[in-house]
Amino acid sequence: MLEVENLRVAYGAATALWDVSLKVGKGELVCVVGPNGAGKTTLIGTLAGLNRASSGRMVLDGNDVTRLAPHRFCAAGIAIVPESRRLFTGMTVLENLELGSFLPAARERRRETLEQVCELFPAVRQKLAMPAGSLSGGQQQMVAIGRALMARPRLLLLDEPSLGLAPSIVMDMFDSIRRINAEGLTVLLVEQNVSMAMALATRAYVLEEGRIVMDGSAGDLIRRPEIRKAYLGLEEG
Amino acid sequence: MAIPSLNLLLQSILSGIFIGGMYAMTGLGLGLAWGLLRQINLAHFGFVFLSAYLCYQMSTVGGIDPLLTVFVLPPAFFCVGVAMQWVLSRFRISAFNSLLVTFGVTVMIESGIQYVWTADFRKMQSVYAEEKFVVGGLFVPLPEFLTLAVAVALSFAIWAAMRFTDLGKAMRAMAEDAPIAAAFGINERGLSLALSGICVALASVAGICFALTFTLTPTQIFSWVGVVFAVVMLGGLGSALGPLVSGIVIGVSEAVAMALFAPSWAPIVSFSLLILMLLFRPGKA
Repeated sequence: MLEVENLRVAYGAATALWDVSLKVGKGELVCVVGPNGAGKTTLIGTLAGLNRASSGRMVLDGNDVTRLAPHRFCAAGIAIVPESRRLFTGMTVLENLELGSFLPAARERRRETLEQVCELFPAVRQKLAMPAGSLSGGQQQMVAIGRALMARPRLLLLDEPSLGLAPSIVMDMFDSIRRINAEGLTVLLVEQNVSMAMALATRAYVLEEGRIVMDGSAGDLIRRPEIRKAYLGLEEG
Repeated sequence: MAIPSLNLLLQSILSGIFIGGMYAMTGLGLGLAWGLLRQINLAHFGFVFLSAYLCYQMSTVGGIDPLLTVFVLPPAFFCVGVAMQWVLSRFRISAFNSLLVTFGVTVMIESGIQYVWTADFRKMQSVYAEEKFVVGGLFVPLPEFLTLAVAVALSFAIWAAMRFTDLGKAMRAMAEDAPIAAAFGINERGLSLALSGICVALASVAGICFALTFTLTPTQIFSWVGVVFAVVMLGGLGSALGPLVSGIVIGVSEAVAMALFAPSWAPIVSFSLLILMLLFRPGKA
């Protein structure tokens, strides 16, 4: 479904991603893990049109989206849940969700999708009229995911959904992501919480210093000693 | 301090409300562009006056009813606003630099007006100018009343559009986080051009109201900057109803101060209000 070939992204003279290639198949839940500053947010931001690629290609369902204008990525079928959520905090929860379905195709099915989002996150239904900025971190994360779902994307991008949330809420959040994927939506997830992400994903990529250094099925990767040592703090034993 | 008669005081309050309507009409587009586009458009005042002079010209020389210029001037000024935003974004001009650039534009407009219409006082003679009616012993001049009505109608219309339409919500979202708004399909470039056009068209409407009410002279452009800035900041940047409320508050306080003390007190009142607001509600401006 998504094919990324030799993607390179630079901020001025500083290159953040070096020839990254990855694939996400239809219905898959793929995660990209790696330490802080490895380029995970740059990668997912580029896939959502927030950053420009300096070279390489991104192809979604056979359409090359690499050179699209930023506001065309949503129509191409991509929606992002950005790092630290970035809700429109001055607006109500409902307005945030409505903006997710700004484009005509999503707008036509707004009521139906809104009902689905409220079923997935019952806590959101109670808060629709509240300013988005007044919600707790976990509720804001639900609204951010809901906003992306309102766009009715074919590929959902999630950037560090567990960041800054209490552990019990992180469990719920990952459970919701699992359910979204189980209903057929393709998901690409970027996470620092390696054990949780690996438990959820079918396949994983490891990104270090802007390069993919390892990839494979999540079950295989999590058993590799270098992963256990670097990301889980476990020594061989 | 002389105590004025009740009738004089009420008449002062009424004229304060009317001048507040003019402040609101002038501040509406300025505040929207400032809050939503990060564009501090000093040329807004230049556009108000240019539109006022053009209305004067079309009415006095062309013999057109000044109210009919509504069909010509705002659409033309809309195009000017689009062009201005195109230039500002093309050269990535920051909010502060936009202040400098548009100051230059204002000076150019002032010189242009001086060249074409000279520095003489110009007063549009129209059927509306001397029209008054009396309500409960108070004089209501028609041009001022029209200005207030237009300011109220446009402020509420824009408030409703921002609150209830998808495009209005998209504009608010864009002002808060443009890249994320774009990720949901909102075309920042197109929307900014349209919004800038609307704001300058509002300046043009203010200009028509101005020509109906006031005597025109080019140097007056800068005498409106201070008080309208105070109105816009007091009302909240990017707010549609804010300038209407703060315009009337400042207009009435000025008028009452003038009636109770002396006309020279008027600016002291408006800027004291602004300073008090900045002290007690910082971050709102």
